Amino acid sequence: MIAKNKGFCGGYRFSNFEAAPLDKIAPLGIPSTVTITLMQGFSDEVPCLVAPGDIVKAGQIIGRDDESISSPVHASVNGKVVEVGKLEYLGNEVAAVKIASDASQGWQSLDGCSEQWDSLSAEQIEKLVYLSGASGAGRAGIPTRFKSSIISPGGVEEVIIHGVESEMYGPLSETLLKGENLLHFADGLKILRKILPAAGFHVALNAERQDLIARVSGALTASRWVEVRALEPRYPADYDEVLVSAILGRAVPAGHLAANIGVIVLDIQDVLHVYDAVAKGKPVIDRTIALCGPGFTDNSHIQVRIGTSVEDAAAGRVSRDKTWRFLRNSALTGERIAEMTRPIDRNCRALIAVHENDTREMFAFVRPGPRKDSYTPMFLSKLLGKTLTKRGETNLHGEERPCIYCGFCEEVCPAGLMPHHLFHYVDRNIIDETLLRFRIYDCIDCNLCAYVCPSKIALGRHIKEGKDKLINEGLTCPPPPSDAKGAGRSQ
Amino acid sequence: MKAVRSLLDKLYEVPALSRFRPIIGAADAIMYGTNETTHAAPHVVDNIDIKRYMSLVIVALLPAVAAAYFSFGWRVIAIIMVSYIAGGAVEVIFAVIRRHDIHEGFLITGLIFPLVLPPTTPLWVVAVGVVFGTMFGKEMFGGTGRNIFNPALVGRLFITIAFPAIMTMSWQTPFASGPEAITAATPLTTYKSTAQASVVNPEVVEAGAGQVLFTNAAAVAKSTQNPQSEFDGVKVYCMGDSAYQKAANHRRIGPDNAERVVSYADLLIGREPGSMGETLRLAVIAGGLFLMVLRVSNWRIPVSYILTVFVFAAIGSYFLPARIAPPLFQVLAGGLLFGAMFMATDPITSPFTKAGKYIFGISCGVLTVLIRSFSGYVEGVMFSIVIMNAFTPLIDQIVLSFKYRPVKV
Repeated sequence: MIAKNKGFCGGYRFSNFEAAPLDKIAPLGIPSTVTITLMQGFSDEVPCLVAPGDIVKAGQIIGRDDESISSPVHASVNGKVVEVGKLEYLGNEVAAVKIASDASQGWQSLDGCSEQWDSLSAEQIEKLVYLSGASGAGRAGIPTRFKSSIISPGGVEEVIIHGVESEMYGPLSETLLKGENLLHFADGLKILRKILPAAGFHVALNAERQDLIARVSGALTASRWVEVRALEPRYPADYDEVLVSAILGRAVPAGHLAANIGVIVLDIQDVLHVYDAVAKGKPVIDRTIALCGPGFTDNSHIQVRIGTSVEDAAAGRVSRDKTWRFLRNSALTGERIAEMTRPIDRNCRALIAVHENDTREMFAFVRPGPRKDSYTPMFLSKLLGKTLTKRGETNLHGEERPCIYCGFCEEVCPAGLMPHHLFHYVDRNIIDETLLRFRIYDCIDCNLCAYVCPSKIALGRHIKEGKDKLINEGLTCPPPPSDAKGAGRSQ
Repeated sequence: MKAVRSLLDKLYEVPALSRFRPIIGAADAIMYGTNETTHAAPHVVDNIDIKRYMSLVIVALLPAVAAAYFSFGWRVIAIIMVSYIAGGAVEVIFAVIRRHDIHEGFLITGLIFPLVLPPTTPLWVVAVGVVFGTMFGKEMFGGTGRNIFNPALVGRLFITIAFPAIMTMSWQTPFASGPEAITAATPLTTYKSTAQASVVNPEVVEAGAGQVLFTNAAAVAKSTQNPQSEFDGVKVYCMGDSAYQKAANHRRIGPDNAERVVSYADLLIGREPGSMGETLRLAVIAGGLFLMVLRVSNWRIPVSYILTVFVFAAIGSYFLPARIAPPLFQVLAGGLLFGAMFMATDPITSPFTKAGKYIFGISCGVLTVLIRSFSGYVEGVMFSIVIMNAFTPLIDQIVLSFKYRPVKV
């Protein structure tokens, strides 16, 4: 059941950063108000079905559009709609419903759910998955016959569930699969298989957690069609493109999603949501989120209702001695949470608080640096990294300088690109076919090049800018070569 | 320290000094680090910066500097000071004119340049060389990151050609002082003059022809077994210790006419004349390995460079022993180790593609052996690196054209 992986080039192992999440889940009380955006994750914005003053139940659908590729949005608490307004969400202005909660715990269950889900037909399961909102997972959703994904259930060849923990800060797979959740996870996979019978299933886990791999393999012994893979937790091993190439040996064509070649990539919680929806009738009204980084006094995972503001979610757990920068999901690619009133959405998996370090350090460049993380072996942390934790802070650690062609960005690039070379073109505003030739669209925006750059050049941002400018010039991504492995198989 | 901090803060405010912001800023940044934070993703970044990157090169050069000081005395320190002051002035002037920060690259140029000079170089020549190198090797091209040639080598090249007498005739024997310590001969020049005045195959040596060069112990054995070869009145030069021991012990070679051109052990521990930084090869190797292990320099260039010199010299000296010196001698003599580990590896002036790095190293190796053997100069390392610097963009373009096929739009 455990097969060998094809590796990927580059990448970087973020190890032992301070205040990593602990292996425990703290349930959070019901928040007094929630703000639920009507666009969650990849899906289109859905029309609002409620008006201010309406009484809603947790789990009641408040936004739904059966015509577009979307999944329904639910109220996450029992209470009353106070306001339907606009909110900035991931760079878009979207409608958001504000609900004042009555602090009661219960939720409205979905019709047709059954603990004996084995007896349900595929259509019934698909309907439950769609209505629960669990279909909005990942970058392309879970395909059902209700237009919940860009592809149809029949087009799915492979399903990859990942929990490799390659991010600097992120939730622990161990915690998500604690106790009965492991069995639910195994059942969730079986449910998914009922709606995607033709697909191969792969579970990718952190190779450094052999005990978890053994437990998951044990729970899945009866399901011979699931393959458990141990992946080295080298960032960005949790990226769709990297998973597809490491596990399936196939390439996601530049500028396309894994779904375009028939691969659905989900995380562990997405599978648990599917189980909850079908077996318990529970819509996606809460998420388990890791509180990571030194800014939190208690680095546990919290189970929080969707729409809870970051302020409420982190209440009582934020350390007061320093200023912190709050980030959503990732320290490398995540957005900065500017206002603490921002709601938590369905795709949130971690809240990260790192030290906003604008203090100067005397002779920083000659210090041994036992707690300074670096890709290069130029700091003492390379030797002591196992015993001492590394600091999570936002200082730039140096001044921006011209590129000296050190080649670090090329070494770490998981897509096999030359980020510095692309940067020089974009920086000189040479936006033409040359960028296509150097495969700029292969960039997966993992930002690792900008992380390692000793000249402190924002390579990732420049490459993204180059891509945007290319699109403006009408030079979009070239179509995948017709003889590519994936294209042939998806027929 | 608070006083320094507030002084710096006040200097920033003085309007008359606004032109000199780069200098204040450089002092500030070196002492206090930065207070800048990341603007957007990635929010947390690597701790490495150019200052640390460059200062590690200086750390790697320190053993060579210490060896130079112990071999040649205080003069070494004076030369390094002149190099830093004169070259630093050029760097500062350009930073002030261009209104950008002072870039750290100069810290390396300013130290590498004096280390490739003969220890007796007059201080004014040092100043001329470093000013020329920084100005025409780097600033004229637009400063750090845009230069085509290694600035230290440009300076060295300039004074080699401009002041040939100083640069080729005044070598100093390590650990010695006074007029008798000055010699015109480094191991490479000795080899060159001896090899051309002799024939290695002693079967054709005629009595009175003057000189014989034995490149190894096997050559000694072979020639002394040949009853026709005569050694009366012939000066016998031996490469390496084993050849010397063998010749000196042989009854057909008189005790007085055998002479050691070079001992490999002496080369390693820095007892042969040479440029300041290159004599103690052990220190150079240690520093070079340090840089490669810390990934400041890429191993591909030095490894391919040195290996090529070894292999090419082995083949060449087998067929043309009178011209091409034996491989181990080629590797250890002259500035090859220093050049390969500290100058050819300069990331700005060497190819950035991996294949390009091998091509660069191999080409440097071949050119070094050719220049040492067939040209009027013995500075094969310096010329080969400068020549290949000029080809660097071309090498990268060729490698990229193979790696990335043109797309049809």
